[in-house]
Amino acid sequence: MKKKLVSSLMSMALVAGLLAGCGSGAATETSEGATETAEASTEEASAEEIPNATFGDANGTHLEMWTFVELHGQHYKDMAEVWNEQNPDRTIEITCTTYPYGDMHTKLLTALEAGTGAPDICDVEVGQFPNVVAGLDQWLVPLDDYASPYMSTMVPARMQTYQGEDGHYYGAPYHVGATAMYYNVAAMSEAMGLSQEEVIAKIDAVKTWSDYEALGKEYVDAIGEEGKYWTSVDTGGTDWLWLAMAEYGDDWTGGFENPANCQLDSVKNMLTMQQSWLKSGLAEISPDGHVDLEAGFQNIMDHNIVSFPKALWYMSRFTNYMPEEAGNWYIAKCPVFQDGQKCSVGIGGTGTVVTQQSENKELAAEFLCWAKMSDEGEQHIWDKLGFDVCNTAMWDKDSFAHDDNNQFNAYFINYPYDVLNEIGMDNIGKISVVAISPTINEYVCTTTLNEVLEDPDYSVDDALQELQDAVDMEQ
Amino acid sequence: MSNNTHQNLSHTPKHIICSILGTGFFVVLCGIISFPVIAGLLASFRPGTELIRKGLALDLDPTTMTLANYKYLFGGNQDSRKYFMWYKNSLLITVLSVVLTLLICYFVAYGLTMYNFKLQNLLFTLVIATMMVPFEILMLPMYKEIIALGLIDTYVGVIITGLCSASTIFFFRQYMTGLPKELLSAARIDGANEYYISVKIIMPLVKPAFASMGILCAMGSWNAILWPLLVLKGAEKFTLPIGLNTLLTPYGNNYDVLIAGSMFGILPIFIIFLVFQKYIIDGMTAGAVKG
Amino acid sequence: MKGKNFLYSQKVAPYVFVMPFIASFLVFWIYPLITAFTMSFQDIGAIKTEWIGFDNYTKLLKDKVFMIAVANSAKYMFYTLLLLIPFPMLFAVLMDSNIVKAKGVWKAILYMPALTSVVISGTLFRLMFSEYKTGQMNVISEALGFGTYKWLKNGWSGMLALLVLCCWRWTGVNMLYFISGLKGIDASLYEAADIDGASPWQKFWYVTLPLLKPTTIYVLTISVYAGLAMFLESYMLWAGNSSPNNIGLTIVGYLYKRGIEKNNMGYACAVGVVLLVVALIINFAQLILNGTFKKEED
Repeated sequence: MKKKLVSSLMSMALVAGLLAGCGSGAATETSEGATETAEASTEEASAEEIPNATFGDANGTHLEMWTFVELHGQHYKDMAEVWNEQNPDRTIEITCTTYPYGDMHTKLLTALEAGTGAPDICDVEVGQFPNVVAGLDQWLVPLDDYASPYMSTMVPARMQTYQGEDGHYYGAPYHVGATAMYYNVAAMSEAMGLSQEEVIAKIDAVKTWSDYEALGKEYVDAIGEEGKYWTSVDTGGTDWLWLAMAEYGDDWTGGFENPANCQLDSVKNMLTMQQSWLKSGLAEISPDGHVDLEAGFQNIMDHNIVSFPKALWYMSRFTNYMPEEAGNWYIAKCPVFQDGQKCSVGIGGTGTVVTQQSENKELAAEFLCWAKMSDEGEQHIWDKLGFDVCNTAMWDKDSFAHDDNNQFNAYFINYPYDVLNEIGMDNIGKISVVAISPTINEYVCTTTLNEVLEDPDYSVDDALQELQDAVDMEQ
Repeated sequence: MSNNTHQNLSHTPKHIICSILGTGFFVVLCGIISFPVIAGLLASFRPGTELIRKGLALDLDPTTMTLANYKYLFGGNQDSRKYFMWYKNSLLITVLSVVLTLLICYFVAYGLTMYNFKLQNLLFTLVIATMMVPFEILMLPMYKEIIALGLIDTYVGVIITGLCSASTIFFFRQYMTGLPKELLSAARIDGANEYYISVKIIMPLVKPAFASMGILCAMGSWNAILWPLLVLKGAEKFTLPIGLNTLLTPYGNNYDVLIAGSMFGILPIFIIFLVFQKYIIDGMTAGAVKG
Repeated sequence: MKGKNFLYSQKVAPYVFVMPFIASFLVFWIYPLITAFTMSFQDIGAIKTEWIGFDNYTKLLKDKVFMIAVANSAKYMFYTLLLLIPFPMLFAVLMDSNIVKAKGVWKAILYMPALTSVVISGTLFRLMFSEYKTGQMNVISEALGFGTYKWLKNGWSGMLALLVLCCWRWTGVNMLYFISGLKGIDASLYEAADIDGASPWQKFWYVTLPLLKPTTIYVLTISVYAGLAMFLESYMLWAGNSSPNNIGLTIVGYLYKRGIEKNNMGYACAVGVVLLVVALIINFAQLILNGTFKKEED
C-alpha cells in the first residue's frame, strides 16, 4: 500500500515535471514558428542581448537604475558610454530597468520603506515626487554639490520643483515643460481666407487673453460651423489653472510652509473666462477630460479645435500620433491677463534621484548630474527625447536650436527653441508639488472642474469654497 | 448526463425549435461578447496611429491592414527578443504555480471535507477569511518577509505566497461536499489507507473541479502583475504583463507592440483552456460510471 | 513502524492534509495581517512613525469621499450579484442540455474576455465608452437618434459601463464554475425524475438548483468580495484613479489613493481593515444562513 502511495506521488511529480517541460517546450515552439514567419534572427534571448539590461564597462563601478520610460534608460546607456571615454579612471557599468509607470513608484517606495532593495538611481514622476522626497536625506542623496557646476544656467523654477522641505535639491530634471500655445495655422488660414503669414502675424499680435478671445471669435465666426471651436477646456487636468496661477505669481499649495489656499483670483479669473467661452461657443469641453488622450488627439486631427495651451513635451504627441498634421502647427507664447505677467509655467516632468541605499552615492550623483545637465547630456536629451532642456546655455546655440534634422524642428512651422527664448527663463513660473498637491489636484479634477465647466452657470466662488473645504480637511 | 435522457426526443419538431432558439441565443451573446476582442484583433493589424485616428472602428478595409506589427513582434529585433523572453518567463511561472496550487489546494480541501475533526470549522472559517483581505495592505509586510527569507528576485518568491489559494481550496471543498462519503468507508474496508484513497479514488472524481480551477489559476497567474513586479528585479526576469505594462507610460503609449503583443499573449492561456476544458467533459463520464 | 501507523491513522490524516494551509496561513497571512492591523493605528511617515490610536478610523468615518467609495462599491456588488449569478447559471444549464449545438465554440468565446490582459481590455473599453463620436456607445446612440452622450461623466452611465465591463469579463468564468458544478450532479437523479414524468422546469427546480447549491454558494461568496474589492475595472475605464465627481471611486481605489498615491500606509491599512470586516460580516451571515458550516453527517 505504502509503495503504491509513493509511486502515485512519484508519478504526480513526474506529471508536474512533464507539464513544466511541455510549458517551456511550447515556449520554444512558438518562438520557432515565429521566426519562420518573420525575416530573421535567433530566438535564444540571453541577458546580454536584452537592450535595457547592462552596459558600460564590465570592470567599472556597477550602478542600478530604474525608470518607467524605456527611452530614458537609453539616455543613460548612451551617456554611460561617453562618461567612460571621458573618465577612464572611474568607469561605470549601468543596468537600466524599465518598469510599468505606477508600479515602479510603488516598488521604489516599498523598497525605501523596507530599507533595502532600492536602486542607485531612479526616475520619479513629478506627481509622485512628494512621497519620495518626504524621506529627505534619509532616503535620498542631496544633489546640491554635484549640480553646482551647472546651476548658474539651469532654469531655477525647475530645480526648485525637486527641492525637499530642507531646501536641498533631490532630483535632476529632464525638461522645463514650459507651457506654450499651439495654433493650427493651416486650418485657421483656410477658414479665415488668409494666407499663413497673415494668420501668423495675427497670432503674434496676441498678447492678452482678450486678444486671444477676439482672434478666437474671428475664427469661429469665419468658419461658422457647428462643432468647430477655437479651443477646448479641460475637466480632467489643471494645466489652464496652473498657467493662470503662474501669470499672477500665485501658488495654491503655498509651498512647504504655508497652508494651501485655493480661492485665488488667478484661478477664479481663468474659470470665469472659460465659462464665458463655453457660453459663447468659443470653447468646448475636451472630450474625455483633456487633450492628452486618444479622444483628444482625434479632436485635434478633426480640426474641431485649433488652439490650446500645453507644455512643450506635447510636441512628441504630435510627431507620434498625429503625423498627418505635420507642417500645420505653430507654437507661440501664451496670452496673459495683464501686461508684464509671466507667460508660461513648467508642467509635468520627471526628477531623477540617487538613493541613500546606493553603495556608490558620490559617483552615482556625479554621473547623474552630468548626464542630465551638461552640454553633452542636454544635446542628447533634445535629440533623442525631444524635451525643452533646462540648461539655458543651450537655448541660443544655433547648432542646437535650429538643427533642421531634428524631427520637432521639422514638424512645426517655427523652431520650438525660438519660442522658449522669446519666453525667457525668468518668465517660466512654477507651482509647487508638495504633500497637499495630490489632494488639491484630485478634488479639482474630480469635482471642481466638472461642476464649473459642465454647468457654465455654476458659481465659481461656490465651487472654490467647496474645494477649499475639502483641502482643509486634509491639512 | 441529460444527453442520454433526451436522446429519444432529439428529432421531434419541438426539440428542433428549442435547439435553434438555444443555439441562436448563444450566437447573439457571443457576437456581443466577442466584439471588443475582434476589434482588438483588427486593431492589432493596423498601425497604432489608426487606432487613435478612428477609435475602435470595426473597419474591415484591407488596405489599411498590415502585418507590420506582428512582423515587428516576431522580427528578432530587441523588442521582439524581450517579448518572447517575458513570454517564456510567464509560461514557466504559470505552469509551475498552476500544478503546485492545484495539488496543494486539493489535499487541503480534501482534509477539510472528507473528515470530521475538531478544528474543521475553525479552519474553514480561516480559509474564507483569507479571501477577504485586500492584497495592497499585506504587500509591504509580505515584501519584508520575502526579503528576510532570501527569496527576493526569485520565481520561488513570486509563486510561494499564492500556492495555498483560499478560493481554490474553497471551490474544491464545495465540489467535494457533493461526493458520497460511502466511497471512503468502502475503500477503507478494502484496506486502502487515507492517502491512497485521496489520490486514487477521490481525485479522479474531482476532475471537473481540477479543470475549472486549473483554468482559473492559470489565468490569475498569467495576468498577475503587482506581486511579481515587487519581487522581481531586472528585465530578464519580467513576466509578460509587467513587460506589456511598460509600454503604457504617461509619456505616450506604444500601441503598435502593445496591441499585437496582448493579442498574441492570449494564445497560451487559451490553449490551457482548451486542454482543461476537455477534462470537464471527462468528469461527466466518471460521474456517470459512479452513478 | 509505529510512527508510520500514526501518520496513517484516520485521526491524524486530516491534519496532515491541512498542514500546508496552516503553514502558509501563519507565514503569509497572519503575520502580514497583524502587521497591517498595527499599521492602521499608526501615522506612517517617511522619517518617523507615530502611534496615533484610533485617529485613522475616526478620520475615516468623517471622510465624505470614503463614504462615496463605500456607496459605489456596495451598489456595484449588489448589481454584480444580481447579474453574475442567475445569468451564468442559466447559460450553464443551457450549455449542459442537448439543445445547444457547437457548445465548445460558445464556451471558448465566452471565456475569451477573462483571458485578455487587463491592460488591453481597459484601453478597448475606454475607447468604446469615449464621449467622442467615434466611441462605439456613441455610434450606437447616434444611430438610434439620441446623439452623443458623456458616458463616463454621469453617475448612472458610469456604473453601467462598469457593469458592462464586469459582465463581459466574468460571465464566462462564472458559467465555467456552474458547468463543472453541473458535471458533479449524479445523472441517475435526472433519470429518476424522468421516470416520474417531471417537466424540465421541475427538474431544474427540484434537482439542479438544490444540487448546485455548493457551487452557487462559492460563486456568491467570491462575488461579494470581488464586488466590494473592485478596483481594476474602474482604473481601466477612467485611465487612472480619478473619475468625474468620483462616480467610479471604489473602496480599494480609495485605499490606493491614500496608501499608494499619497503614501499614507497607516490610513490605507485602516481602509483595508474596514473592507475586511464588512466583507467578513456579509459573507459569514450568508454562509451561516445557507448552512455551509453544518456538518452533513449531523
